[in-house]
Amino acid sequence: MKITVERSGGIAALTRVWTVQAVTTSEKSRWQPLVEACPWDAVDDPRQAPDGQPDGQPDRFMYSIRAGQRRATLPETAVTGPWRVLVESTRTAAEESRPGGGEAGFRR
Amino acid sequence: MVCSIVPPYILRRLAAQGSPRFSAVARAAREALLHVGAVHAARTSAPTAPAGIRQLEPSPVNRSVFDAKSGESLPGQVVRKEGDAATGDPAVDEAYDGLGHTHSLYADAFGRNSIDGLGMPLKATVHFGRMYDNAFWDGQQMVFGDGDGEVFERFTRSLSVIGHELAHGVTQFSAGLAYRNQAGAINESVSDVFGALVEQYFRKQTAAEASWLIGEGLFTPQVEGSALRSMKAPGTAYDDDVLGKDPQPDSMDSYVRTRSDNGGVHINSGIPNRAFCLVAQTLGGNAWDAPGQIWYETLTGGSLSTATTFTAFAKATAATAKELFGEESAEHDAVRGAWETVKVKL
Repeated sequence: MKITVERSGGIAALTRVWTVQAVTTSEKSRWQPLVEACPWDAVDDPRQAPDGQPDGQPDRFMYSIRAGQRRATLPETAVTGPWRVLVESTRTAAEESRPGGGEAGFRR
Repeated sequence: MVCSIVPPYILRRLAAQGSPRFSAVARAAREALLHVGAVHAARTSAPTAPAGIRQLEPSPVNRSVFDAKSGESLPGQVVRKEGDAATGDPAVDEAYDGLGHTHSLYADAFGRNSIDGLGMPLKATVHFGRMYDNAFWDGQQMVFGDGDGEVFERFTRSLSVIGHELAHGVTQFSAGLAYRNQAGAINESVSDVFGALVEQYFRKQTAAEASWLIGEGLFTPQVEGSALRSMKAPGTAYDDDVLGKDPQPDSMDSYVRTRSDNGGVHINSGIPNRAFCLVAQTLGGNAWDAPGQIWYETLTGGSLSTATTFTAFAKATAATAKELFGEESAEHDAVRGAWETVKVKL
């Protein structure tokens, strides 16, 4: 299972991408609960907000999260609870760059 | 309600006074002219946005800086209040000074009483989050991250960024521009314009002397780039192996159609950014004088739709320039010429 966290927006408008691959059984058993804990079906696409500001705050980050076939887009202020755990875990693993850890970079 | 007995043609002549000796009377005349225009507009059509709020005597700045201590609870612990001595923490002191410089520009150049026009106290929180790569206005206060140390330094380092974020507050309390597509790019551009003006006013730089860079000093030395954006030459602020190249267009010929970034609000803002810079360079002198006055009155005068387009905004700035300085004025010509150069139809 491939997990990708893409963070766009901010005053600099640079898009950062963190990716991890859960390939082995132990990796899947570590990541599956983190993914399952997130309420994927309860998320509205914030890009459909009438004024473009789902949290009423310009220059905040926007997160697009993918895990296998699942995907969700959340404003920064909604990245709480299990979403926060998944995002932070992905970022940490990707930045450690250990074997199977993943990749961290910018979308150019 | 303020009423004016002075005829508009005399107000126009007073408003056009360029000498510093007459700056106060010129500003007062421009205020009165705008009021005349607003009354005329109110008589002929229903307002589409809240009218600008004007007070002739802005109240003194009232600042408080808080420390989030790497957490994300706002506002955090207060560490410096108005009149307190410097703390020695650069983030705290830069935020305190930046709030003051921003308040000064609005008060001195535009007669605005703080961000909301009603004298609201200015609050800022520093050391927000862990390696947090951003600064933002949350609708009530400023928030600054410390940066990650690899790409970004602390965000209080740039006065134009502080001014940019506080300008989002001014937009929120005036034109209320949407944050998507062209209205969003105007929203972003207006923040860059007033962010640049805060920095230029503090440094006492003319339009010719100014860098016109937004976020200078935010990148670490490892990054090949001078700033986040260049208003003078959009698309040239950075070109880095890791970050890529500054994607801003400098005219409608290279306008970017995209769904990301709320429809390219930080990308296409390069076009109106360059238009403002061209106005200032054409007129010379201080950009916070006539050019800033035209943009400020356009933003706060109540004529803009929240879903404005580049063309509607360009027309509004030309109408403001005509109202303030006259149809045959250099200011009106400069505004029309700038939009023509960036290929926005008037």
